[in-house]
Amino acid sequence: MTQNVDDSAAVDAALQQFRDMLANDGYLLTWSKSGEDQVVVQVEAGPDACADCLVPQPVMEAIMSEALEATPYRLDHVVLPAGEH
Amino acid sequence: MSGGIIDPTKSRSTVTAAGTDASRPEQLRDLRVGLLENGKRNAAQVLDAVGHVLAERHGTGPLVPLIKKQFAMPLPDDLVDELLAGCDVVVIGVGDCGSCSASAVADGIRLEQAGLPAAVICTDAFETTSQAMAELKGDQAYPFILTEHPIANLTGEQIAQRAGGLAERVAERLLVGRPASEAA
Repeated sequence: MTQNVDDSAAVDAALQQFRDMLANDGYLLTWSKSGEDQVVVQVEAGPDACADCLVPQPVMEAIMSEALEATPYRLDHVVLPAGEH
Repeated sequence: MSGGIIDPTKSRSTVTAAGTDASRPEQLRDLRVGLLENGKRNAAQVLDAVGHVLAERHGTGPLVPLIKKQFAMPLPDDLVDELLAGCDVVVIGVGDCGSCSASAVADGIRLEQAGLPAAVICTDAFETTSQAMAELKGDQAYPFILTEHPIANLTGEQIAQRAGGLAERVAERLLVGRPASEAA
């Protein structure tokens, strides 16, 4: 698979509502490609991030995996803020 | 940031029957209404206002305010016991962040399975996490009630207005169980 603008836009669109959701708790969501057809989602804490408000990794990965079903990509894994597991 | 990510999926309770609600009362009159708030800003005020509307419109019995001190954690067993002993129905809320919305849904499912009708209120910004927790608990169709995000900055007057609309949806959830059209 070759990445193209449409594919990236599809991932952006698929993750937008979760970007907005995490922003409500002060977190920033970004993503990057991993291999040919996988995506790594990264969650970073902003300066005003709500401690303890982040959902646990299994819930986060379930959410992101489902969101990416509408794209050509599948979830590789979610990277949570440093020190959080 | 302090503490790590707390997993509201973890609980000592035994999951008995996913997708099974407690039996519903025929009416709310004279029933003891638990108001289980999670310590988030305005959560207690919203639940208290909802409780008073339920009393006015449905003639409910005593309001029983209780607090879950750690909003992201599963309900502690002693609090479950207290709810079961002291309440006939319970209103849980308000899930207005990622972990607390997920946790509120997990708590609602646990109490339903323990035999206590529960209505869970979350804000619409966290519908995704609420739904994800329901699915993780094996109860994809678990009905939770959504209200507009945020609630933390609402004034007393705005809370009263919000409670007026929420109360009927809470009553429906407590009485009907799983309506064909779930909370919006």
